[in-house]
Amino acid sequence: MNKKSTPLELAGVTARQLILILITAMAIVPGYLMITGSLKTQEEFLNSPWSLPMNPNFQGYSAAWNDQFPTWFRNSLLVTVSAVLFTIVMAATAAWGFAHWKWRGRDTVLGLLISLMVVPPVVLLIPLFTLGAKLGWISTFRMLILVYIGLMLPFSIYLLTNFFRAIPVSLIEAAEIDGASDFRTFRSVVLPLSGPPLITLTIVNLLWAWNELLLALVFLQSDEKKSLMVGITGFQSRYSLSIPTIMAGMTIATLPLFITYIFGQRYFITGLTAGSVKGE
Amino acid sequence: MIKPAPTEYRFTVPRNLGAVFGRLRTPGPILWILPAALCVTLIFGYSIVDLVQQSFKYRGDWVGFENFSLVLTDPLFRIAIFHNFLLLFTVPILAVMSFICAVLLFETRKGMKFYRSAVFLPYILPIPVIGVVFGQLLQLNGALNSALRAMGFDSLALDWLGDPKQALWTMSGIIIWKEVGFGTILILARLISLPLETLEAARIDGAGFFRLHFQVTLPQLRPVILFYVINEAIVMVSWVFNYVYVMTNGQGGPGNATVVSELYIYRSAFQNKAPELAATSALLLLLATSVFIIGFFRIQRNINKGVFDE
Amino acid sequence: MKIRGKAFAVGCAAAVLLTSLSFTGASATVGSKKAFPTKPVTLTMWWWGDQEAPGAKLWVDDTVKAYKKKRPNVTIKTVLQTTDGLVPAFAAAAAAKSGPDLQYFWGGIYAQQPGWDGQIAPVSDYIPAAELKHYINASTELSFKGKIWTAPWYVNPSFPVLARTDVLSKYNLEVPMTWKDLLNVCDVLSAEGVPALAGGVKDGWFGGWLYSIIGGQSVSSSKDVVAAVVGTQKFTDAKHADWWTRLQETQEHKCWNSDINSLELYQAQQLWKDGKAAMTVVAGPDAPNFANSVGASKVVVMAMPKWSNGKFAGKMGSTSQTIGITQWSKNKEVAADFLMFSHEKAQLNNWFKRTGSMPADDRFDLNSVKDPVKKALFQSALPGAPYLENFIPAQLDTDAVFTNVQLVLAGTKTGKAAAADMQAVMERLRKTDRNLVKNFTAWSK
Repeated sequence: MNKKSTPLELAGVTARQLILILITAMAIVPGYLMITGSLKTQEEFLNSPWSLPMNPNFQGYSAAWNDQFPTWFRNSLLVTVSAVLFTIVMAATAAWGFAHWKWRGRDTVLGLLISLMVVPPVVLLIPLFTLGAKLGWISTFRMLILVYIGLMLPFSIYLLTNFFRAIPVSLIEAAEIDGASDFRTFRSVVLPLSGPPLITLTIVNLLWAWNELLLALVFLQSDEKKSLMVGITGFQSRYSLSIPTIMAGMTIATLPLFITYIFGQRYFITGLTAGSVKGE
Repeated sequence: MIKPAPTEYRFTVPRNLGAVFGRLRTPGPILWILPAALCVTLIFGYSIVDLVQQSFKYRGDWVGFENFSLVLTDPLFRIAIFHNFLLLFTVPILAVMSFICAVLLFETRKGMKFYRSAVFLPYILPIPVIGVVFGQLLQLNGALNSALRAMGFDSLALDWLGDPKQALWTMSGIIIWKEVGFGTILILARLISLPLETLEAARIDGAGFFRLHFQVTLPQLRPVILFYVINEAIVMVSWVFNYVYVMTNGQGGPGNATVVSELYIYRSAFQNKAPELAATSALLLLLATSVFIIGFFRIQRNINKGVFDE
Repeated sequence: MKIRGKAFAVGCAAAVLLTSLSFTGASATVGSKKAFPTKPVTLTMWWWGDQEAPGAKLWVDDTVKAYKKKRPNVTIKTVLQTTDGLVPAFAAAAAAKSGPDLQYFWGGIYAQQPGWDGQIAPVSDYIPAAELKHYINASTELSFKGKIWTAPWYVNPSFPVLARTDVLSKYNLEVPMTWKDLLNVCDVLSAEGVPALAGGVKDGWFGGWLYSIIGGQSVSSSKDVVAAVVGTQKFTDAKHADWWTRLQETQEHKCWNSDINSLELYQAQQLWKDGKAAMTVVAGPDAPNFANSVGASKVVVMAMPKWSNGKFAGKMGSTSQTIGITQWSKNKEVAADFLMFSHEKAQLNNWFKRTGSMPADDRFDLNSVKDPVKKALFQSALPGAPYLENFIPAQLDTDAVFTNVQLVLAGTKTGKAAAADMQAVMERLRKTDRNLVKNFTAWSK
């Protein structure tokens, strides 16, 4: 069998490699243009967008960095990390409440909760904005964090509940027979088993909150409170005459995610693998 | 700490769990669920009640269904909803492309890790960044067209985002570009976790590449693909604001070619200063998406069956 | 040392303000009678303008610094907004009833609407009439029922067409003064692959400019436009609709750069700077900079070529960009004091020095302007034509003008259809904005 199909197989392998190279190229090209563009002068970029920057020019970077990137970074980091942290804790406990006990109406409540995943965030925009205005919470991080938590909870609870339900009963029984309280069972049996879905959830939520624009645009009005995404949206409009500066700004904005991705890739992918696939 | 979940768990477990712990006197689930429940009730519950109220009022006065008739007769609102509907057509494309990419990656030993990282890369990029970079790339005299012209494909050098006839399709292309990585990784992950024996057995039976993957792999991937499809459908209906806002300077242009419901609502509220019309259209959008909720319930049941009963 | 002298002058001005307020009595708010606060006060100003009047940021920094010297207890924080973000950011702030104390507004409707919506306090409640009468365009664009909403800051001659004689003469062409000439220039240049006019409509704004400078030629006053807004005239009437056909002609004669729909306004103007187009349209305050960047001797600054015999054909519009005081500001009189400070001679002169454009105050000495381009430009703006875009609802501008200009220039819509669409959008707006007719009627009186 091997001998017979070798040329055909070889052709197949080559074709697959070629397609993959093509796909990879398509995935990378915008990044290439962004990075090389950030090192060119405006003229160079307009005349030969594809070439490598012959005389790297870092003016774009200094212009971008001297803008408000440091502030935006800090704000985004603060909002994202606290929102995700709260979400994970609240979702894990709630999911345990759903998975561990069977109570009347549980499936209905869970179903209702899960169906909230489908609600477009823009639907909540106006009521929440009015609420925030009444409370005087516009341009405060707590408002945005609260909204983010609310929006991330349904999916997070859904994913964790499914996972917790699949934990073998024998493990939990063993703990309970040893006299462990609910909390101890949760902490020393359930959580240690749930590494992968928790990592997945953290990644998915971090990406979501970090990249969110619409709500941040509306809830963070004042200049010193703007998030990175809001900041760079305005940034591109302010520097529309200097594409290298825009590209430098975009590169700076991407860098932290990119570095996290490169170093944490194993967790990104194993997390998604073990967690969400099992969980959903 | 991090152990991979064993694959042989059964969905029959929770029922037994309930039986076991019902007998033990525990404070019950309330405390565990309460914080999340409060937060969700505040964010969603309050909003939806308030939304209904606002949509029947104008500057605080009750106006009955006047806002509804104004929104429903607005051609722009219909255009916006229709554009969201059109964007849904990218979902099957995404599913197919993700499946193909995942299978290709699965079958490739050499450089698989590199390709995998590359394919997933677009998914982690911030959408505003993608919007800005593609906005430059796709200008009529931008990088893409200059490359096309250099290669002699002058007729392919379209005004990607400037021509009202294809701006929305360009936009969906960009969305596909970003979202396909997520699907690929999801499907690939499931593929890897499939028992190798079935695949090998099919191979020994002489199943070729295509038959193998369409007849043996695909059925087993159904749950994960369905999950992805639902996820992307939600994205197309409720999460495309970022692309449109960044790439069209918040206008949804050229003309109204890329106005989507989110942009319509945002602009009603914050540009045209008509919060009550924004609230009304948001309520209508919510009603429209409730169709998904029903579909979602169905599929959710199937997925549970698929994942846990197999 | 100059500052000290100024301080005295402003002290006098403040005294005048106080007395005048006590005369106007009931109409002025009680709060404004208070003595100037001595406690620390922080004002926030959201502004825009560096985009069209480069150097404005330097002036703002200078002025804030100078004001700090005069009023050490007042700190002013300034935030330069983006073009696309100016209106939505303020709308959101207004809905939240918190935000800046001083807010930048374009003239006309952009200042009226926030007033009608109760988002700003009329500056005439805080600045005496004797002072306000010097502010250019205050009474024409910004008054409503006897009050003046916002304080003009600088004048925007709107909008000059810049023609490069070096590019035109290369093809044996003269600067076109009439529409027929313009289309002829377009034909000749497009055959050579050179756009006659550089423009970018991706971000929409240029659509409003074109409406004002082409459409302005067939109306007899801003009242005509308001009449079409409230429904006594129609946007499909010849005087309101013909310009769409003219616009279509520019598309048919290939006047524009082919990537007009994928470039932003300011990006497209660079084509002209680079010599890749013969003509372009720029913001009034920026015109001298553009002209000087390619050599003023090679540039003709003019109004849009004439296509009608209308009263305003061949004339430039005049509008002032303004600053208003928000309703929720806790320090309105301090804000007003800062506005008056910015109209003092030193600040007026500094504005001209920093930006090369014209401050909106008739006490600015035009004779001190030596640059002929600037002088001509400033003079043309003084008895200017109405700037049409400022007399229609902002939503009509974005939803009907911006969009239809994009479509007509993309060649997918006819001028006629565009006019019909504008009328349809207007009819809809009269229904959705229940106070629109009432407010516009009161404004035009």
